[in-house]
Amino acid sequence: MNKTMLGYVPTESPIYAIHPLVKLLFLLVVSLFPMFITPPELNFLLMAVIIILMWASRVSMRTLRIYIPMVISMGSIIIISYTVLGGVHPEFDLIVNVLGVRIYWERIRDALVVYFRILPMIFTMVFFLSTSRERDLIVAMRSVRIPFVITYVFAMALRAAGMVLEDFQIVRQAERARGFDPAGKSLLYKIRTYVMYMIPLFALSLRRSEEFTNALVARGYAFTGQVSKAARADFILTHYQFTALDAVLTGLIAIAFVLLLIFRYSSGIFSLEASVFIPWLHDILLG
Amino acid sequence: MADKHPYIQVVDLVYHYPDGTEALRGIDLTISGSEFIAFIGQNGSGKTTLSKCLNGLFKPTRGDVIVDSLNTRNTSIEQMVRRVGYVFQNPDHQLFNNNCWDEIAYGPRNIQLSEGEVKERVEDAAKVVGLPEDYFSEHPFFLPKGLRQRVAIASILALRPSVIIVDEPTTGQDAKQSLEIMDFLLSLNKGLGHTIIIITHDMPIVAHYARRIVAMGQGQIVVDGPTAEVFSQADKLAQTFIEPPQITQLAQNSAHLGFNPGTLTVDEMLTQYEGLIATKQ
Amino acid sequence: MVQAVEISNYSWKYINTQSPALKDISLTIEEGTFVGVVGPNGSGKTTLALSMDGLIPGQYHGIKQGEVRVFGKEVEEYSGGELQQIVGVVFSDPESQFTAMTVEDEIVFGMENLGLAIPEIRERLDWVVDLTELGDMLDKPPYELSGGQKQRVALAAVLAMTPRIMILDEPTSMLDPISRKRIFEVLEKLRREQSNTIIVIEHSLENLVPLTDRMILLHDGHILLEDEPHAFFKQTEFLLEKNVFPPEATQLFYRLSVDGRYEGQLPLTLESATSLLEGLVKK
Repeated sequence: MNKTMLGYVPTESPIYAIHPLVKLLFLLVVSLFPMFITPPELNFLLMAVIIILMWASRVSMRTLRIYIPMVISMGSIIIISYTVLGGVHPEFDLIVNVLGVRIYWERIRDALVVYFRILPMIFTMVFFLSTSRERDLIVAMRSVRIPFVITYVFAMALRAAGMVLEDFQIVRQAERARGFDPAGKSLLYKIRTYVMYMIPLFALSLRRSEEFTNALVARGYAFTGQVSKAARADFILTHYQFTALDAVLTGLIAIAFVLLLIFRYSSGIFSLEASVFIPWLHDILLG
Repeated sequence: MADKHPYIQVVDLVYHYPDGTEALRGIDLTISGSEFIAFIGQNGSGKTTLSKCLNGLFKPTRGDVIVDSLNTRNTSIEQMVRRVGYVFQNPDHQLFNNNCWDEIAYGPRNIQLSEGEVKERVEDAAKVVGLPEDYFSEHPFFLPKGLRQRVAIASILALRPSVIIVDEPTTGQDAKQSLEIMDFLLSLNKGLGHTIIIITHDMPIVAHYARRIVAMGQGQIVVDGPTAEVFSQADKLAQTFIEPPQITQLAQNSAHLGFNPGTLTVDEMLTQYEGLIATKQ
Repeated sequence: MVQAVEISNYSWKYINTQSPALKDISLTIEEGTFVGVVGPNGSGKTTLALSMDGLIPGQYHGIKQGEVRVFGKEVEEYSGGELQQIVGVVFSDPESQFTAMTVEDEIVFGMENLGLAIPEIRERLDWVVDLTELGDMLDKPPYELSGGQKQRVALAAVLAMTPRIMILDEPTSMLDPISRKRIFEVLEKLRREQSNTIIVIEHSLENLVPLTDRMILLHDGHILLEDEPHAFFKQTEFLLEKNVFPPEATQLFYRLSVDGRYEGQLPLTLESATSLLEGLVKK
């Protein structure tokens, strides 16, 4: 079992054979797909494909359960803001008027389109984070020759975030060890306590940052640049070969994207009018 | 407080971390009033986990931890902290008030004491740790490390728990500071009757101050007994990668000459040497 | 002959403190020696370590007087990063020294900074991993390592830059006894096989003392004692007064010699103490 950013993936998973750059490319490009696809049923299909890919990569499907509450609450928020907060629009088709709240067909339609656009984007991100380690992000960035400073700052941010999370656990325990019990207290109380956590986390980071900086300088790195004028070797890249498989996958992703754009703007396949689901729903709601 | 009723009873305690790792694999332990115990063992042996079960921070996966006749499974945090206090290794993890007074008052306020009682406890605790009144309005962050540690201890003392667990009291301290903190803990134990449990790697300190050692390895108790007795069982301790203090090792290497394998201090060694020389004459 | 470190009448006062951390100290360290620095907290040991690496005055504000020379050149005269190639520092907190996301990346970072090419990086990586026994941990992230393992990584990362002078500031204070021993084992290997100058600041003397060629006592910013170990510990009474405790075996023989029971060099290791004691009792 290897730990990825969002969970564990067994070592036999096929995902390890893929170059981190391809994984990053997948994330960046495929999460744009929904922007060009309007019919909700097609975006839903895209989400299903992503989930199947996750399953094929041996990501534990149980971890997906964590996201269910988030998916539901997000859907609720979207529906509510599009309906209850939708305002009065006489030019729209009214479905029903509940206690002064006007629920319009157009709003429901738009809400569904937005919701089903967001879902595949989220799951693409989850897919990426569940199958990548922190190192993969750094390898991906270095493969495309992003300036070293940027990748390094990014890596340090990851490291710092990890340390802060560890500290956070201990601070929580320390508070409880002094009788602090958030159970059954008001939400305001809980928010206030999270603010209080900031103080020791901040203090700890401050104290550490001095040693952290000293360690960096002692290893020959100052923020003004590198020590020597010679080109910087990227030892980390020696572990990752860009294979034929990677080239093929990159090609597929690129082609898929180009095709998507072509069909989107030439024919109406991915437009709203092409949807089957939307008219069906329209008939159901408005008779 | 010198009663022999077990104050803490641990019965077949098993603890699993949320990700499933087994941290404690069946612990049985009894602690009575006014003991001075050292928990020792390699990293990952479970000493910190066990301590956090004792004060209710962790609830048992199986088995029971009974403190003052209360089962930690269904006792509120407020009730637990009045009985078992835990001082974390790095005082920075627990200092979040603007001044020392509020810092020490934080615990008593959490357990809903009246403001008058809080005042009494704070002043009392500050006096015991030797924190001068001029520091009451200082921000804890700016105090030197030694004082910060005292404020952290005072903040636990203010809860007046019978048992105080201190995580690594001497790490990063020099010899004098280590002795000061340990003498202070000893005064809490002998003078005020608290049971003190220290989690530590510092064997000479254990030899000088602890009267009982609980050595842990891989989630179980490897050996539990009076200090000299435990240190003389070098082979058992080796299982959990513990070595007795150097002077004890010297005594053990010289056991065939008549030295006691449970020797704890240089003084004891000297006395024995004098004794051995005398019998030769 | 150019000394590894030559400090002359050096004082350093941090900008936000009342009195100087180091007060007019003078010190010479020969190349290839193993030096132990002891003293209570606040005596200036860390300040001394930072001064020899140029981190003081480079990273800190304060007032400097006197000179700190490394291989003949004042630390302030070294250009950016040059001194760090000569002097390596390992600090006491394993957490804050680990700046990368895997062990290998951490070790390789300094070498990349030096502009080394891949084949040389690989060679040094293998050497250093072998020395510190980190072979099966190379792609582990920091949160999967213990404090002791992280400290070994810090040591490996600094060693990979092959500094001529290695400074270790309380490298084992946060470690358990086994990890502590392992660090000193690496230092012992280094001492035997390489010709680095090694300076170790420590509280735990029983592991340190057997390795040292010279011992230095710092107290309140002054160097109070400086000598080779046997002579150094002859002054045990003075050391105890200054709250520095020699290894327990050494203390025992010191007391024996004070009582007139023992004449001769004070033992610095458990082994020598054991045989000496045997000899004494059997007499």
